Amino acid sequence: MKPVISLRWAPYFFLSPFLVLFIVFGIFPLLFSLVLAFQSWDPVRGMDSMQFIGLENFNFLIQDEWFWKSLYNTLWLAFVSGIPQHLVAIPLAAYIHRSLNKTRNLVVGIYFIPYITSTVAMAILFSALFSTDYGVVNSMIAWLRQIPGLALILPSTAIDWLGEPSNIKPAISLMVFWRYVGFNTVLYLAAMQAIPKETYEAARLDGASTIQQFFYITLPLLKPMMFFSVTLSVIGGLQLFEEPFVLTGGRGGSDQAGMTTAMYMYRTAFEFNDFGTASAISWALFFVVAILTWVTHRMFSTSGRS
Amino acid sequence: MSDLINHMKALSKKVIWKKLLANICIGWLSATACGVRAENVTINVAAFPALDQIVKAALPEFYKVHPEIKVHVLSREFADHHTAMTTAIATGSNMPDVMLLESGYMGRFADSGALEFLTSPPYNADQYQSKFVSYTFPQGSSAEGKLIAMPTDIGVGALFYRKDLLDRAGLKESDLTQSWESFVQAGEVLKQKTGVYLVGNARDLKDIVIRSNLQPGEGIYFDVNGKVLVESPRFVRAFKLARMVRQNKLDARTMAWSAEWSESFKRGTVATQMMGSWFGGHLANWLAPETRGLWRTAALPDGAFASWGGTFYAIPNKAEHKKEAWELVKFMTLDRDRQLAAFKTQDSFPALIATYQDTYFDQPVPFLGNQKSRLLWRDLAAKTPAIPLNKLDPIADEIINTEMDKVLAGKKEIELALADAAIMLQKRIRHSMRR
Amino acid sequence: MASNYQNSKMSKISAALLVAVGALIMLAPFYFMFVFATHPRSEIFQVPPPMTFEGSFMLNMDILAQRIPFWRNLGWSLYVAIAFTGLTLLFCSMGGYAFAMYEFRFKKTLFALVMGTMLLPPFLGMIPNLMVMNFLGWIDQPRALYIPGAAGAFGIFLMRQYILSSIPKELVEAARMDGCGEFRIYWSIVLPLLGPALGTLSLVSFISSWNNFISPLVVMRSVEMYTLPLALRSMQNPVNTEWGAIMVGSALATLPLLVLFVHSSKRLIEGLASGAVRG
Repeated sequence: MKPVISLRWAPYFFLSPFLVLFIVFGIFPLLFSLVLAFQSWDPVRGMDSMQFIGLENFNFLIQDEWFWKSLYNTLWLAFVSGIPQHLVAIPLAAYIHRSLNKTRNLVVGIYFIPYITSTVAMAILFSALFSTDYGVVNSMIAWLRQIPGLALILPSTAIDWLGEPSNIKPAISLMVFWRYVGFNTVLYLAAMQAIPKETYEAARLDGASTIQQFFYITLPLLKPMMFFSVTLSVIGGLQLFEEPFVLTGGRGGSDQAGMTTAMYMYRTAFEFNDFGTASAISWALFFVVAILTWVTHRMFSTSGRS
Repeated sequence: MSDLINHMKALSKKVIWKKLLANICIGWLSATACGVRAENVTINVAAFPALDQIVKAALPEFYKVHPEIKVHVLSREFADHHTAMTTAIATGSNMPDVMLLESGYMGRFADSGALEFLTSPPYNADQYQSKFVSYTFPQGSSAEGKLIAMPTDIGVGALFYRKDLLDRAGLKESDLTQSWESFVQAGEVLKQKTGVYLVGNARDLKDIVIRSNLQPGEGIYFDVNGKVLVESPRFVRAFKLARMVRQNKLDARTMAWSAEWSESFKRGTVATQMMGSWFGGHLANWLAPETRGLWRTAALPDGAFASWGGTFYAIPNKAEHKKEAWELVKFMTLDRDRQLAAFKTQDSFPALIATYQDTYFDQPVPFLGNQKSRLLWRDLAAKTPAIPLNKLDPIADEIINTEMDKVLAGKKEIELALADAAIMLQKRIRHSMRR
Repeated sequence: MASNYQNSKMSKISAALLVAVGALIMLAPFYFMFVFATHPRSEIFQVPPPMTFEGSFMLNMDILAQRIPFWRNLGWSLYVAIAFTGLTLLFCSMGGYAFAMYEFRFKKTLFALVMGTMLLPPFLGMIPNLMVMNFLGWIDQPRALYIPGAAGAFGIFLMRQYILSSIPKELVEAARMDGCGEFRIYWSIVLPLLGPALGTLSLVSFISSWNNFISPLVVMRSVEMYTLPLALRSMQNPVNTEWGAIMVGSALATLPLLVLFVHSSKRLIEGLASGAVRG
């Protein structure tokens, strides 16, 4: 029936779908955008109008205020929306793992729902929720101020979330956090379920409290999963496009405070009709992502595997 | 009879039997009636809402006149559509036969060399120039003045205001429209006496002021020689007015088309809105139907003119069926009934002057307190000047808006902001020079 | 002792409360989407948004069905997502198996290549992608949507991790010594053991295919061939959108995903577990 594949060629056989697809569909766009980064090209003038300009695009970017601003925005958003995701997901997963049995799947499911909803529909909602004068978020804050103590840290005037440059990024972060915290909770919960109960038993018999068990057993054993999911968060966070795009109506917000590098790239390509610069931006972003992925690797990997 | 045989041979095998027969009959009839060789051609029209609906609605009539042409309309969201068109032109493939383009994008597509010059044979569209509102032809032309797209609708800029709120504050319409300074002053009075905002966003003032009082040869940001104009008095005035509005808290700081913005109309917290004439229809239909009768429309303050959008029909060079495409374009743009139908159903203000004699324009508009608004808009349209477009307008737009944000936030002085804008624009010009 | 008990009960209750509040926050926007779907357009854009259901669902549904061939688009989305998921499961498990079970030259390079493809943003690929599709004659065909990404990096990465941590090499060695062909080993021995990871991957792939609108945007030529997100977007007028209808469409579009999630949630948790625990 099936011809015997020799041991030597087997791995290549199994990788052949990937290789074929990559060669047909992956390499060309990759090379195209790499070449484009060194060209000056207005797409509506057609393919023939490309002109080689060497490193000019990169030179331009280095001096471009908007590029650095977008990079700052991107990093800010990636960290501020990313770190809380994990800070909340881990204890949440621990709680679900420990304390919930019958309701476990339901709770996990509810937290996972944001991940599957469409961004466009959510954008309208979130902009309504973040409305300065009539939004639910501001109403909540006003209500919370009635609790003694909180009045000191919460602002007394309505926050202009989407109009004020300094507020846009927190608003976007909230939306990203909402979207992905459940996804990460699922990942961590999964990892926790793989830790044998006996380990906790032994610790408990030795007198360790719940908190101590969490810090000395759970966390260290979660390291590999942390690597996996933090890497995903890093890559996703740095390529953030949809949420800021829809919340700012595609413009990037007041003083471009909500414009990520991916959005800047899209606008450079399709609004400013400058594909050469856009390609240069995407490769610059690629390097940033690669560097940060490597940093994550150094931080978390126990087995030295990438 | 040989015509009929040729016709049958030309038909694709996929056509079902009934359709085949019908087409043969019609084809034969029209062939004998018009002396035209009857062949079934399908043309693709790439459009976005609401133009897609306008074209579809016109098809039954179109098929009566051109039964041999089948039309397939492809809809995409507004920005998606232009992105897809850019992509198609960039690769030279997957082109529609008719391409709808919005005026904001004309600057980018006009000099692409990918669209047919409609003033040349076989189109000879220059014969139609006088039939259209005067500024539309220059708007649809390349830098050398060659027409690349036919105008179909225009967005006449108008002022909408809440008469009841003005009455309560003891103001008249002329207080708003006499000059920008009186407009802002009226805003102060409104705030004192009624507590409502003058405008949704201070930026709106800036947008209009920089588009008015252009000298001959001037575009918004560049003149026809490419010189940067952002430090001219026009810009200074615009920034000053906007800043004054913001500092005196006369604007609601909403983003146009956001939930908050539309809510402000429902609640009557904003007294005016400057926008295309179609805005009235939106207020009536869904933004604030309860405010019926309370709004009026007028010319923009200070004798300013602006156009908010406007759509054009273009034919790509690489289109397969250019002749048939042109038939559709002519039908949609030159036919009085089509233009009026679009106006009545989608609030698409016609670019075709011949429509203006229709009684529809004389009718009072109930939502606007029975004002004969269409007459006003018609007159405004005729007086709107043509503004030369530049490919770098979107970039300049972004630069100016960003600097405006900084000024409005009180972070920067106007002169410095405009000077910085000029520098950034120069850098961008140099960078794009090679294209 | 009593106070300790009180304390731990208090903390249990407050923890449960926190989680419950969090769950409400997670659900709220989703809930609103369904509420919006039942309101006429003029009521959606108000602030505060409507909180309760109303009766305009059928009205909005009518508008939706009038503007786009909704069920057809839904059908295409399903078809493409299922085909994509099927191919992904096959190709990625093969790829992951290769990286996990074999030693070969170029292994490190190829894996770096796989990982590298994860780092590229999608937009710039639009133009070259169109060129390739044009060259292959795949314009306006669903295969242009489900074939190109079918051996994605995430899938291969996930499969590799899972296989490494849960399939012992001895199993494969034993099968080999018994005379099994390489493909037989993969197909009949290893693949059946990959249940949880396959469940996970199928969910993630399905969702990503379902929500993708960039590929169909340039490749499809008619609304009848659109997938759902693109069709829903095509109703968005810059100034005059039928939001009620779009909400209905979005709400309905989420339902298959919900069903899929409920069906595979158990497998998902197990699958992601073993995949990443051992790193």
